Amino acid sequence: MPISFMFQHHCRRNWSWALLPMGLLWFLLWFHMPASAAIDPKAAPADFVQAVGSNALEIVKQEQDTIRSGDLDAINAIVDVHVLPYVNLEKTTRLAAGRHWREATPAQREKLVDAFTGTLVRTYSSAFRRVDSRSRLEILPFRGDADAGDVVVRSLLHQSDAPPVAIDYRLEKTAGGWKIYDLNVEGIWLIQNYRNQFAQQISQNGIDGLIDALNQRKH
Amino acid sequence: MPEHSDRHARNPVPAWRLPAAVRLGLACIAAATATGCASTGSAPHTPDPLEDTNRAIYRFNDAVDKALIKPVTLAYTQLTPAPARNCIANMFNNLGDVFSAGNSFLQARPHDFFNTMGRVLFNTTMGLGGCFDVASRNGAYRIRNDFGITLGVWGLDTGPYLVLPILGPSTLRDGAALAGAFAGGFSPTSPLFAIRNIRVRNSVVGLYAIDARAGLLEADELVEDVALDPYSFVRDAWLQRRHADVERRRNNSGSLPDYGDDDLPDYGDDTPDSED
Repeated sequence: MPISFMFQHHCRRNWSWALLPMGLLWFLLWFHMPASAAIDPKAAPADFVQAVGSNALEIVKQEQDTIRSGDLDAINAIVDVHVLPYVNLEKTTRLAAGRHWREATPAQREKLVDAFTGTLVRTYSSAFRRVDSRSRLEILPFRGDADAGDVVVRSLLHQSDAPPVAIDYRLEKTAGGWKIYDLNVEGIWLIQNYRNQFAQQISQNGIDGLIDALNQRKH
Repeated sequence: MPEHSDRHARNPVPAWRLPAAVRLGLACIAAATATGCASTGSAPHTPDPLEDTNRAIYRFNDAVDKALIKPVTLAYTQLTPAPARNCIANMFNNLGDVFSAGNSFLQARPHDFFNTMGRVLFNTTMGLGGCFDVASRNGAYRIRNDFGITLGVWGLDTGPYLVLPILGPSTLRDGAALAGAFAGGFSPTSPLFAIRNIRVRNSVVGLYAIDARAGLLEADELVEDVALDPYSFVRDAWLQRRHADVERRRNNSGSLPDYGDDDLPDYGDDTPDSED
């Protein structure tokens, strides 16, 4: 984009209407990218994770400018299309809440899942910023029982200037195929790391207090 | 259990030979354990009987960090050019690798020991005294190891979680191991004391601390962004990470991370529709 155009855009608000059709076109093209269509949730767990992970990594590389700008709406849009269809965040939230999940009303559960999703997207959007053109995902040989309903796929995320990061994905088999519900980064399981914090918030301020606390982390 | 850990934890570091500061530290740890025995009621996955004390120290650390350490570190990262900073970090890492290798040796991990010593030799020569991490560029990444992990591999439990003043998250086991490492690092026979000029020597120690803090600037932002309660977040992450560090060595699965299936967290109360 020419600098003069950006300048005008910032100075004269009535220019912004011109961006809308462009953005819409871009969004449609991007939505129909063949890469995401190739992901088969019913494939072997390791292949599924490889497809989801590599696809997400490619998108993050392409959209690096958007991600570095910290535009949460744009990041959310990426996550909505390329990550959320393959994960079961309802289960993630349920396990993080533990026995307190049963005390929650359906409306509270829904709000809690939304609030926790927001927190997680923020977590990973800061991780996305470190992705560069040489980042790549290596899936390690699958050692579990692929027929089991609950499996772990191990991987290494290679970066250009740092040691590879060990990332494990925990998946469950559903009617619609595999869904990722827990993540381990360098020995730290995501759900386990939120269990105590959830329990603490709930015992102090109840489930609504936890939802508020999660939403308050938004900037 | 804490008594048991205490007895073993202090064996490798005979207190009578330690500098006063370290002896004081050990006394604190011992006192902390004594209190730990008296209190009960922590969650099964997070042995944190000293939570109140730990939180107080955590707040203290946070205040010191905000007022002093972080501003100094930010100034350091802004004033020094990135190549110089990387060089400094690499040189400290290169020295640290010697300790890592020693611990790999103590854990009977020859693969890690020889790889790490190979890194040290390569980086010290081809990498101009450790300034460039040429080993990593050739695919030989760091294999971090420390004496706390060694004690864990030898079968010692972590004991209660501790927040150390200034140094941050630790456990009884790791704190004792750190005291041992410090005693080694500051003993008259350590390479540090080959530096005769006291000002230069102190500057090196200060630089080491700032370099260590600079490596944590990003992690620190993450915690601010995503934690509901930073104290719990850091504690649970630290305990899980240390547990994984020890377990993957005990399961002896090479240097590839493998946390063994039996080691998966069991979220046992996942029964959304059952009664009670």
